[in-house]
Amino acid sequence: MKLLSIDDSRTIRRVISGVGAMLGFEVLEAENGMVGLQVLEESSHEVGLILLDWNMPGLNGLEVLKKVKADERFMHIPVMMVTTEGEKDNIIRAIQAGACHYMTKPFSQEEMAGRIMEAIGMGGM
Amino acid sequence: MDKEILISALQATVTEVMGTMAWAEVGFAGQEHSNSLTLNQEVGGLIRLRGESEEGLVGIACNKRIASELVSRIVGLPAEELLPEDLIDGVAELANMICGGMKTKAEMKQLELSPPVAIVGSDYTAEWKTIGGAEVLTFLLEGENFQVHLSL
Repeated sequence: MKLLSIDDSRTIRRVISGVGAMLGFEVLEAENGMVGLQVLEESSHEVGLILLDWNMPGLNGLEVLKKVKADERFMHIPVMMVTTEGEKDNIIRAIQAGACHYMTKPFSQEEMAGRIMEAIGMGGM
Repeated sequence: MDKEILISALQATVTEVMGTMAWAEVGFAGQEHSNSLTLNQEVGGLIRLRGESEEGLVGIACNKRIASELVSRIVGLPAEELLPEDLIDGVAELANMICGGMKTKAEMKQLELSPPVAIVGSDYTAEWKTIGGAEVLTFLLEGENFQVHLSL
């Protein structure tokens, strides 16, 4: 199983890749929503979790989330929002659109690792 | 927007971002007023906040060594292995996390954050003219200054 990090920040993608590697997962990276959807077209059978930023140029994270959940090829893949947008309204919008977890930056590596395990159904290990 | 609430949220956010992402301890070293938002250290980052009736700017500034050290700790790479684009991206993300965290803590609803801007160079001055000037908060990090500018 692979994780897919969609974030315009190379820094955050690196942090997530490091956490993924620590947990034994390969992390695919996409620098914006369009590239993320292309990666899914090619590798959705391998992707077990999408970690999705909100504020990105082009398609924003909420738009990407809606596209993922509207496509029957991808809709089964859990999506965790990883964003600086910590307002309750945004969290509610993301959950209503199908996100299973919501994580606000800044985060520690331990917090991120715990959330990834929860999101893929391996929490509490 | 209540400036005191924003400044308090900003202080708490800087401490949280540095501690959580970079394992760095920062100390608050003071606040002063400036007539414009001016970034003129070696490294700067800037984000604009914009709503229907309000807008503001949040900037960060420090020297290149401190910026490299912070980005190095965040991404887990030695500072000497960071590429120029790593530093630019890391400074932009620091500005993003600090501004976003302030917005969340201060419950500034319905304000959009612009994409972050980052500047790295040995000799530059970037100035944004503002009506009310800017508050400059100085933090100490490993004995050196890390400044956060707030203009509303």
